[in-house]
Amino acid sequence: MNKQMYDLCKWVLDTAGRAGAKDLRVSLGKSRLVEIQYRDKKPEIIKQATTLQMGIDLFVAGRYSSQNTCDLRKDALKEFISDAVSTTKLIAEDPYRTLPDPKYYKGRADMDLKIADASIDELSAEQKHTMVKAAESAAWSAGGEKVVMVEAWFSDALGESVTLTSNGFSGDTRSTNFNVGASVSVRDDDNRRPEAYDYADCRMRKKLASPETIGANAARKALAKLGAKKIATATLPIIIENRNVRRITKGFFDALDGRNIYRKQSFLADKKGQKIGSDKFIIVDDPFILEGAGSRLYDGDGFAAKKRTIIEAGVPKDFYIDWYYSRKLGCEPTSGSTGNMIVPAGTRSVDEIIKDLGKGILVTDFLGGNSNPTTGDFSVGIFGQFFDGGKIVHPVSEMNIADNHLKFWHKLAECANDPWLYSDWRTPSMVFTDVVVSGV
Amino acid sequence: MDRIDRRTFLKTTSLAGGAIIAAPVLFNGCAMTGTNLTFAGTERGGYFEKEFGITDSLCKKVLAKALSKGGDFADLYFEHTISNSLGLEDKKVDRAYTSVNLGVGIRTVKGEQVGFGFTQELTEKSMMAAAAMAATIADGSATPVAGKFAAVRTGDYYPLTGTKPAPLAPRLSLVESTAGKCFARSNYVIKTIARFNDARKRIMVVTSDGVKAEDLLPDSALSSMVTVERNGRKEQFWFALGGRYDFSYFTDDIAREVAEGVVDGAVTLLDAVVPPAGEIPVVFAPGDTGVLFHEAVGHGFEADFNRKKISIYSTMMGQKVAEPIVTVVDDGTWPGARGSINFDDEGTPSQKTVLVENGILKSYLHDRISAKHYGLSSTGNGRRESYENYPVPRMRNTYILPGASKPQEIIESVKKGIYIQDVSNGQVNIGQGDFAFYVSRGRLIENGKLGATIKDINIMGSGPKLLRDITMVADDLKLGWNGLSVCGKDGQLVPIDCGMPTVLVKSLTVGGTGKQGA
Repeated sequence: MNKQMYDLCKWVLDTAGRAGAKDLRVSLGKSRLVEIQYRDKKPEIIKQATTLQMGIDLFVAGRYSSQNTCDLRKDALKEFISDAVSTTKLIAEDPYRTLPDPKYYKGRADMDLKIADASIDELSAEQKHTMVKAAESAAWSAGGEKVVMVEAWFSDALGESVTLTSNGFSGDTRSTNFNVGASVSVRDDDNRRPEAYDYADCRMRKKLASPETIGANAARKALAKLGAKKIATATLPIIIENRNVRRITKGFFDALDGRNIYRKQSFLADKKGQKIGSDKFIIVDDPFILEGAGSRLYDGDGFAAKKRTIIEAGVPKDFYIDWYYSRKLGCEPTSGSTGNMIVPAGTRSVDEIIKDLGKGILVTDFLGGNSNPTTGDFSVGIFGQFFDGGKIVHPVSEMNIADNHLKFWHKLAECANDPWLYSDWRTPSMVFTDVVVSGV
Repeated sequence: MDRIDRRTFLKTTSLAGGAIIAAPVLFNGCAMTGTNLTFAGTERGGYFEKEFGITDSLCKKVLAKALSKGGDFADLYFEHTISNSLGLEDKKVDRAYTSVNLGVGIRTVKGEQVGFGFTQELTEKSMMAAAAMAATIADGSATPVAGKFAAVRTGDYYPLTGTKPAPLAPRLSLVESTAGKCFARSNYVIKTIARFNDARKRIMVVTSDGVKAEDLLPDSALSSMVTVERNGRKEQFWFALGGRYDFSYFTDDIAREVAEGVVDGAVTLLDAVVPPAGEIPVVFAPGDTGVLFHEAVGHGFEADFNRKKISIYSTMMGQKVAEPIVTVVDDGTWPGARGSINFDDEGTPSQKTVLVENGILKSYLHDRISAKHYGLSSTGNGRRESYENYPVPRMRNTYILPGASKPQEIIESVKKGIYIQDVSNGQVNIGQGDFAFYVSRGRLIENGKLGATIKDINIMGSGPKLLRDITMVADDLKLGWNGLSVCGKDGQLVPIDCGMPTVLVKSLTVGGTGKQGA
């Protein structure tokens, strides 16, 4: 626990109270980061810094404002708070804006989530440079003469936060993050320069994949993109690679958000309890996974974290409703933000599924695209590998899929056995059948 | 809901080369800004010395530390930004946000290598520590710092009318009247969200080779999003106006224009039909459809991607890349435009840079590092999001110059195709040259006439092929002017604008759900 950070937060609570704000939430975040990037066998970027950021939510006479500052000189802060309180009094009253009912703070799990690696300070600058060089060198070796550029990097960060509210909430967090990766550009016959990357991102340094593996994977992925072409528009099965599933799921999740529901911008507002996807469509929000990127004991409102089933066999069971929108919607709050999103893995590998499906596209990247939360319509560019006869035939580029989320998730036929663990979205590769893929 | 760890985002965007985002930024709640803090005045010089005691001799000392182990040059980037935002979702402004950002970034450059540190405390001790960190990129003997600093000569592309920002009352009234006008415009409107953002960014760039440049950059936008409903069908639309303006720009007429733009846009979507899929001719309406050029062409011309041999354009300098009717510029001098800058974040004066002239590739977009690599002068494109980042080549206002055709004749020349009116976001793969952008509203073209409305379509193509496929350019150039467009690259967001006249591209991949060319 960082006493200095607590003391400053308490000082803000007192100072705001004297300025006329009796109800408030104050958060102080501190992070220290180091980044090292190499290109052409020498350091390209060395960056290091520590940042502090304070956030204050004010609830004054039924009115609300939110402030952020990194100017933490006490004189400046005092004036900042006093100005903020005066301004807040001038805007319209909002009866729904209050600090949460403290009963939701209760029941916080008493456990160590293992999200802070005590050894973060033990890694020397030299060791970090060695890891980056290893990733870079492995990428050049695995890529061969087609490689035109390799960038490799290592970063680590230590984050600490303290949050206090005037109605009794108190919480602090400490977490670490390690990232090692490489990106590789290769030259194609027609001067195109496809690039690919691979990385590992972990709470604990010992869980990082080896830099050599990451560098070599990045090169292999780049080489696999050589000679990409479009195929004719067709209705095919597609497999969305594990680390990209999140991108397609995001448009769906926006519609589960209480804010969008209140704003009448959600195609799921009236779909709770209804079948909107196949039985394979299951998502569980588990904030308690040890070493998880999205693990936490409380959320932004201070609510004690809970494990929840969000989608069960294609049926939405729960929305993301924070305190404010629960009051506007007249319902119980859940949480306004996600923890670790788990899609249960299947039993077969992507290779086995490709063999079984025969013909289709393995989607390895998305490009552009967007999703309309009001209607569920989406359209997004895809890149990947066309397979036929159970084997990869050639890479595809510049193709597109378009659908509506209320139809698309019924096409989910299978999840592979390869959950992606370097993210708070722990998703395996997913197989969708009968998708219109537009091309030539 | 949208938690992306920093590195993933950084690598995703940097590998993609860049992405431009307009609409989503405003309403996802992540870019919250504030209430009524003000700067002391609008004078552009002497601010950091007066407010924070940053004297020339202190700058010299810090720069000397940054060059204590050698290097080509070092620079200091001081920033003090105050952003305010007022928002409503129930007819009255019931939320206010303020954000204050203060700090200095210290960079040491040796060839193409960068050492970078920053601090939020503008004390000598903190700055010397950050400078010592930046210095570690080099390992030789010290490089001298210039004896004197001189201001840069530049234009003023966003003059401010007053010495103080507007009081709260007229800003509240602007947002509430915009929402009122939205509801009055159509009975189909069931929800209106409106917001007014304004920011003032004070910067000072001091370089070891003797440049000292100070500026105050205003940045404001009035925006609205509405949901409309008719016979059970709902649609949403977003519209905004703004740029490097202070509050005097936001008259009642601007509020009316925003309300009309957003409501009329949403209502037309109620009649939208299934969009076609496949390769078809595409006509672009003038304005922020210029995202097309930002993505397809602009990022690939950023010189860092070329000196690193990542870009597909890295071997095309001086070659024909388009028909002679196509001239593309990146212009930091358009008065009031959101991407305009008096000088860039390395202290280089802004300019209008011709990228493609009559179809020939003429220039990349340079910062100091790439300019040295190519033996050229910087084009004033070295930009950064804040003191927490080092600068890289970035676009300003990118657009295609007007041609000789008339908009109507371009539409009439297309037998079966689509007409694109509004674009919300886009992305590019620099190396492959493939780009995509998302159409929030357009029309079918049938036998030379505009037909039914279409929406929510991703359109893709290859940048070099797109340039070659531009066959008509009209005389009606327009910028986007939404006041909120940001471009993401290397994890950094910077304000930009883009635009173009009505243009015909003979073939692009349209990602609809209908049959080819339907």
